[in-house]
Amino acid sequence: MSETHIEIGDIHWLMDILQNIDVGLVVLDREYNIHVWNGFMESHSAISPQKAKGQNLFKLFEEIPEAWFRQKSEPVFQLKTRTFTIWEQRPYLFRFKNSRPITGRTALMFQNTSIIPLESLDRQVNHICVIIYDVTDIAVSRADVKNANKTLTDIQSKDPLTGLWNRAGWEPQLVQQFNECQAAGNECSLVTFDLDNFRTYNGHYGHQQGDQVLSNIGKLLEKAVGLRLSARLGGEVFGLLLPGQNGEQAKAMAEKLRRAVLLLNSGNADDNIPKITASFGVASLAKDTHSAHEWLQCADKALYHAKESGRNQTTLYQHRPN
Amino acid sequence: MSAAHEILNEDQRDCYQELTNVAMGQAADRLARLLDAYVVLPIPRVNIIECSDLHMAIQDAETDSAVSAVCQGFIGSGIAGEALLLFNDTSFADLAKLMSYTGPLTRQAELELLMDVSSILIGACTHGIGEQLEIHFTQGHPVVLGQHCKVDDILKSGNQQWQRTLAIEIHYTIEHVNIECDLLLLFTEDSVARLNQKIDFLLD
Repeated sequence: MSETHIEIGDIHWLMDILQNIDVGLVVLDREYNIHVWNGFMESHSAISPQKAKGQNLFKLFEEIPEAWFRQKSEPVFQLKTRTFTIWEQRPYLFRFKNSRPITGRTALMFQNTSIIPLESLDRQVNHICVIIYDVTDIAVSRADVKNANKTLTDIQSKDPLTGLWNRAGWEPQLVQQFNECQAAGNECSLVTFDLDNFRTYNGHYGHQQGDQVLSNIGKLLEKAVGLRLSARLGGEVFGLLLPGQNGEQAKAMAEKLRRAVLLLNSGNADDNIPKITASFGVASLAKDTHSAHEWLQCADKALYHAKESGRNQTTLYQHRPN
Repeated sequence: MSAAHEILNEDQRDCYQELTNVAMGQAADRLARLLDAYVVLPIPRVNIIECSDLHMAIQDAETDSAVSAVCQGFIGSGIAGEALLLFNDTSFADLAKLMSYTGPLTRQAELELLMDVSSILIGACTHGIGEQLEIHFTQGHPVVLGQHCKVDDILKSGNQQWQRTLAIEIHYTIEHVNIECDLLLLFTEDSVARLNQKIDFLLD
C-alpha cells in the first residue's frame, strides 16, 4: 500500500465528491446492512443516509431479489473480484423513477451495476460497494434501434396492402416447411392461385376497388390459414402453405377459398363485366420433390392447367406414380 | 510506429506464462471453493494472435448457436485490453447446475448464467495477473456478443487497426460437468510495450 498523506480538509472534499457524484454508491457488510448511502441514492430513493444506515438492504428494498443479488455478490466477498449486472439481465436493481420525468420515455430508470470488493486493513473483504449507473438513455436507444430494424425487415418482407408476406418474405417459410416436412416425412401441401379477369375488373371499377379486392383476399387467407403461411407473391398471385394436409385435403381447402372469392363480387351491379374468380393450383409434397423451388413449380404447373381448362377451378398436380 | 513483428522475446514469453500460471493457481483455488467444483488447472498459452484469427473465433460465436461469447474491457496503468470468453459446446444445463441455479432455462436465464460465469472467470484471471504486476485493472461492463448486433458489424466497424497482438489464452474445464470455455486476454499493441517494461523489471 502506498502511503498517502491526506489532510482532514482533503477528506472533506473527497466526501463531497462521493456525495455529489452522479452514480449511486452503497456500501454493504457481510449481512447486507447498509453502511454508505450517497447523495444519488438519497435523491432517487427519498431515503436519507441517516435512515438507510444500519438497515438491511433486502428489508428496505423488497424489489431486490435476495437470492439473485447474493449470487452476484458472494464472489466479490470470496474471490475479491468485481462482478457486474447489466440492464439486459434485470432492468434495475433499485426501483427508481426515470431521472427525466417529463421527456424520458420510460417510467423507470434502467441500471447497470458494478459490485466491488472493499479490503480492510487485514486484507479481508468484509464490505462491498455497489455502484449504480443510470443507463436509461442507452436502453431506450437500443429499443429504438430494435424497432427500426423490425420496421425495415417488415418493409422488405411484407406486402403493405394485404399484410401478407411478399415473395421475399415467404420464400424462407416455404423452404423451412419443405425441409422440415421432408425430413420428418410429414404431409404438406402448397397452393398458388391467380385472380381471373382482374385487369378488366380494375379497368372498369378503378384501381381503388381492385385494391379492395386484393385486401379482402388477404383477409380471407388470414382467416383460413393465418398470416404466417400465406403470401401475395406478386400482382394478383397468392400462395399458401398447408402443413399436415395431403393433396386431396388441400384441394378441398382451395375449393373453399375459390367459392369465397366468388362471394367478393356481391354488390357489383354490372353484369357485362366479368366477375372476379380465381384459378388454383395445388401440389402436395412428394418424396421425390427435390427442392422447395421444384415444389413451387409443380403448384404453378397445376395453376396453369386450371387457367387453360377455363379458369375458376382447381387443379391438383399429379405426381408420377413410383 | 515500431513494427510489431518482434512483440515478445523468449524470456518475456516465459515470464508471461509463469505469471499467468501463478495467477491461475490462485484463482482456481478460490473458484473451487466458490463453485464447490474442481476446476482443472488450466495451462495458459501466451501467443501472438493475428487479427484474422480473432475474426474467426468471434464469427463462430455467431454462426454456431452452440457457441456464446462475452467480452469485457479492462484498463489499468495505461495497459488496456479486452477479455473475451468463448463457450464452446457448453451445456447451459450444466452451467445452471454449477451456479446452483434452479428454474426454467429461458433465454433470459441463459443470459444470466453467461454473465455470472464470465464475471467470475474473467475477474479471477485479470485480478490475479494484475496483482502480480501491481496493476489495478478497472473493468467495464461485460457485453454479450451477438445479442443486439451482428458480429459481422462489429468486425466491419473499422476499429481493427492492429494486425497482431499479445493474447493470453486460458482453457477452462470443470471436472464432471460438460463445461469448457476459452478465456482470451487481448492487449492492445501499445499496451504490450508497457507490459514488457513491467515484465523486464521482474526479469532483472
